[in-house]
Order: sequence, then C-alpha cells, then structure tokens
Amino acid sequence: MRYLLRRLAQTIFVVVVVTFLTSVALRFIPGGNEVIIALKTGPGANPEQAEAVIHELGLDRSVIAQYVMWVGDFVSGDWGQTFQTNQSIATEFKRALPVSAYLMVYSQVIALVLAVPVALLSAYRQNSRFDRLASTATFGMLSLPNFIVAPILVLLFSVQRHWFPFPSIYHGLWDSPLDHIKAFALPSITIAIPLYAGYMRVLRADVIGTLQSDFITTARAKGVSTGALLLKHALRPSLFSLVTSAAVQIGALMGGVVIVESYFSMNGMGRVTVEGIFKKEYTTVQYGVALIALVYLAVNLLVDLTYAWIDPRVRRARAMG
Amino acid sequence: MSSTDVPVIDDPDAPEVPLAALPTKKVKVRRRGRVAKWLAIAWLVFMTVSAIGANSLPYIPHECSGSTSTCSTAIKGDILTKRELPPSWAFWVDPVNPVLPGKPTHHGLMGTDSNGRDIFARAMLGARNSLIIAGLAITIGLAFGTLLGMVAGYFRGWADTVIENLTNVMLAFPPLLLTIFVVTFFNKPDTAEAAQRPLWPIILALVVLSIPPLTRLVRANTIAYAQRDFVTAARSLGAKRGRILFREILPNIVPTLVSFALTGMALLIIAEGGLAFLGQSVELPIPTWGKMIAEGKEKLRAGAWWISLMPAATMFLTLLSINMLGDVLSQRFNTREAIA
Repeated sequence: MRYLLRRLAQTIFVVVVVTFLTSVALRFIPGGNEVIIALKTGPGANPEQAEAVIHELGLDRSVIAQYVMWVGDFVSGDWGQTFQTNQSIATEFKRALPVSAYLMVYSQVIALVLAVPVALLSAYRQNSRFDRLASTATFGMLSLPNFIVAPILVLLFSVQRHWFPFPSIYHGLWDSPLDHIKAFALPSITIAIPLYAGYMRVLRADVIGTLQSDFITTARAKGVSTGALLLKHALRPSLFSLVTSAAVQIGALMGGVVIVESYFSMNGMGRVTVEGIFKKEYTTVQYGVALIALVYLAVNLLVDLTYAWIDPRVRRARAMG
Repeated sequence: MSSTDVPVIDDPDAPEVPLAALPTKKVKVRRRGRVAKWLAIAWLVFMTVSAIGANSLPYIPHECSGSTSTCSTAIKGDILTKRELPPSWAFWVDPVNPVLPGKPTHHGLMGTDSNGRDIFARAMLGARNSLIIAGLAITIGLAFGTLLGMVAGYFRGWADTVIENLTNVMLAFPPLLLTIFVVTFFNKPDTAEAAQRPLWPIILALVVLSIPPLTRLVRANTIAYAQRDFVTAARSLGAKRGRILFREILPNIVPTLVSFALTGMALLIIAEGGLAFLGQSVELPIPTWGKMIAEGKEKLRAGAWWISLMPAATMFLTLLSINMLGDVLSQRFNTREAIA
C-alpha cells in the first residue's frame, strides 16, 4: 500500500510538471508573441486581432491561470485549430492515434513471436551452433538503427520486388485488409528488429538461469519432453524481465518512432508532433507531447503496479529503494 | 576431442563436466571473440584516422582547406560525369543514367551520389562529425550524470528525491522529440542563417538525452558501494565527504561507467543520425551519416542503392564495433568484480 501511494504520488508529480512545462512553452518561443500572432493571422495583423490571439491562448494571464486554462482545454477535448491551415488539432490526433497503435501492436507481435522461440532454443542448447549464430545475429541487430533498416527493406521489397507500396498509404484494417497489411508490413518490421534483439537477449539470459534450477531437473527426471519442458516449465518463470521491457516499450513506441513514420510517410503521433515543431504549429506540439508523455507514464505506472500486485517482493524492494 | 573422450565411467571421482564447459569448446569460443574484438578495434582505429585525415582523402579538392563548411567532395570532371556512379567493385550494376562513351562507369570504394560527390570521402567527413558530436556529448553527460548520481546515491534524503523526480520528468518526454525541440529552440528561426548552424545545440540536446540514464546508473552503483566496509572505514577515519565520494566510491564505479559510456556513445551516434535523418543536425555542406542515408531515399527507387547503403554500412560497422567493445569491457569488469 505504501508503495502504491508512493508510486502514484510520483507519477502525479511527473504528470503535473510535464503538462505544466508543455502548457507554458508558448511563452518561450524564439521570437515571442509576435511570431504566434503572425502565424495565426498572417502578416500585418491589426491590434484587435493580435489582442484576440493573445487572449485566446492565455498569454495575457499569469502562468498558473494559463496552465489551468490549458488543462481545461486538454480535458474537454477542445484543442483549437492549427495556426496556418485552421484544421482541428483534435481531429489530427484522432487520425494519428490508430496509425501509431497499429504500428506498435504489429511490431510488438513480430518481435515477440520471433524472440520467444529463438531465445528458448538458444538457451536450451547454450553455445551450440544455433545459439552462436542466433546470438551473433541478434547482437548485430542491436547496431541497426531504424534509418538503416528502412532503406534496405524498401530496396529489397519495394524496389526490386514490388510487393509493398512505398511510401506507405494508410488503409483502415476493416476497409481493405490486404492494403492495410501491405502498408504496415515494412514499417512494422523495421521497428521490430531492434525490439526483437532486446527481447531475445533478455529472455535468453533468464531462461539460461531458469534451466539451472532444481525443478527443471525434476521435470526432466519425470520424463517430460523437451518441448513441454521449455514451454510449460522453463518459459513462465523466465518471463518477468521480458514482459516488463515489452510493456515499457508500449509507451515508448507510441510516440518514439518518428523516423520510421517519416521515412514511410505515415502520420502517426510522433510524426504529427515533429512536423508541428518544423511548421511552428506550437499548440499541436503542446498537445502531442502531453499525449505521448501521458501514455508513456500511464503504461509505466500500470506495469509497476501490476508487478507489485503479482509479486509482493517487488512491493517491498521498491518501497525501500 | 569430443565429449565421449571424457572418462566419466572409468573414474568415479571425475567431476561431472557439463557439455558447454568442455575445455576444447571454451577455447574455440574465446578465440572467436578475440578475433572479433581486434577487428572491432581495427575498424575504430581506421575510422578515427580517416575522420581526422578526411580533408586530405583523394577526391576532395584541396581548395576546401579553409573551413570545413565550404569543403566540396565533388570528383573532378565535366558536368556529364557528375551523376550517381556505382562503386567500382559492383561490376554487375549498370549506371542508372546513360554514360557517354569514354567516361567512367564506376567510381571509387563507395560510388558517387547524384551530384557526383565521392561517397567514401563524404562518409569519412561524416564520421568526423558523428564521432566528435557523440564523443563530446557522452563526456559532458558523464560528468553531469556522475555528479548527480553520486549526490543522490550518497546523501539520499531530499537531494535524492529531487534528482529522482527530475530524472523521471526528463524520461517522460519522448527522447527524439526532446532533442528536436532543443535543437530547433536554440537554432535561429530564419533559414538564411541555417547554413551556419552551430554544433553546440546538437551536443546540448544529446547531453540532455544522456544525463537521466547515467544518473540512474551511478546512483544505483553509489548506493551499493556506500554500504561497503571500506567506505565505513574511511568515514570512521574522519575522511571528508568529498574524499569519500571521489577517492573511495568513484574509482569503483569507473569501470562500469566506461563500458556503459561506450554503449551510450553508440546510442548517441544513432540519435544524432536520427536528427540528421530528419534534417535537424549539422547543415548541408558538411555531411553526416544520417543525412547521407536520407538523401539517398529518392534515388533508392531509381535503383541507386549505394547512395543510402554505403554510409549505412559504415555506420553499422562503427556501431557494431563500439557495442562489441562495450560488451567485452563489461564482461571483463564483471569477472574482476566477481573475483574480488
């Protein structure tokens, strides 16, 4: 209970600081209010227009009042319009959210589906030819950033064989499933490669540890087959670190795949926010950063609390720590 | 020697040796690792030397010797040869554009880009930028991270709470967005001055990125060492806080820090590459790896793969070498710690 409260208080503090920083960020834009007014009304604004813009964004109030106003807007979903194209910011993010979510789910699934069997086999026959090959390849994948993988995949599968469109065109899963898969295949694989490498290394190390425990010897003595031994006995107690890192990645992937989204021209959360920075759509950036940070924090809090709930040792260890 | 040669049945006292620990196998594995380690070191030395000497590489006209920003890596020749040529070893590739009779069809180690610039020369100039930026950033990040982490881990109390919460706040921001924000924030907004985009906002952004994880690492290590007997002994001898922190605890953390710093440097090279890829790193005339990979995006569709993939391969080998060294170091230090 103490741990739960401590963790909750910490998260709330971080949420407040993060949203506060993003909400008052408009005050520190290079060029100041004039830049915002010019963006909003076009060149040569009359004083009344300028006044209206300043008032609308709360720049004429105190920092605290501005923050309260911003939180109100954020919660009510009334996020206003972009400066230059006058589009609804909320709609923009509503469109971006499924793109990010699909990318996250697909890349996680690919990474996990690959990592679990490879790690199990590697750990079972440690230092075998398979293990050495798999471990070396996995180590290499750690050094493959997204922007190196993406061009290679595009060259192989979009240029030489026209299997997948490039750049990707977004299709809803239910509108046209095949186009949807085609659009998401290459970006998801790109994201999945370093993910897989991380997962495989974590799981392999843990399974090697588990396989040395007594209950595995007992199971083997009972005549349990290798497959059942690995899947039923060794896998479950080794999943702790893997599930933790996979869960943390859920939050990180929602806004952290800007490069892949840009390369494949997909408008996910990260890209919309970054384009906001480039196009000086500062309010879009505010909401984007707040959204991404909130998802990240919420996922981390959930992960921590779930573990504390499952495993009392965590509760104690972390409350002390 | 195979496993059947171990005389387990004849000698009841012989220790049971698991297959993996058989001497023959172990030696083999270790030798492979050693070769890989020396290859990694060799590659890094090669990169460093080429990066330092990038200005005097062939295919870079020497009039660029003034400032790097005016440095041109164009190969000499008339306008018709100034287009993408495949590397000279790629004999199976035909040039994308038709080549006049008598003109070269292939060029150099890595080919040329669409402006006819030598990609190898540019990749080495890129190495200079990437290595300097990442190296400086990780050094500064280490200094701050170590200080904050040691203060948090040794004094605990309110200092620990403040530093921990600040770290949490920093980590809540998506890392790439944070760096882009810092870089754009400190760069002049007007595009006229973008050509002289300074180095320091990028380094600052990467430092900001590297401090939180380093702080966490140092804090955890400091807590572990602060409870050891030699620290208690030093304290009971009347050693001052500064002495305990810097003479007793710090030397014990340094090995962990060094191996972590190498991994961190690889991550920062990736981050800088990502920034460059999005067009936010050093400006155009100076190449960086990320920028070169991004520039090749359009030509990739036309079949000119070397423009993207040659710098990508250079970067990959460098990252691999750094990671491998970090791995070797962390293994070595772990074993030492286990012995002590």
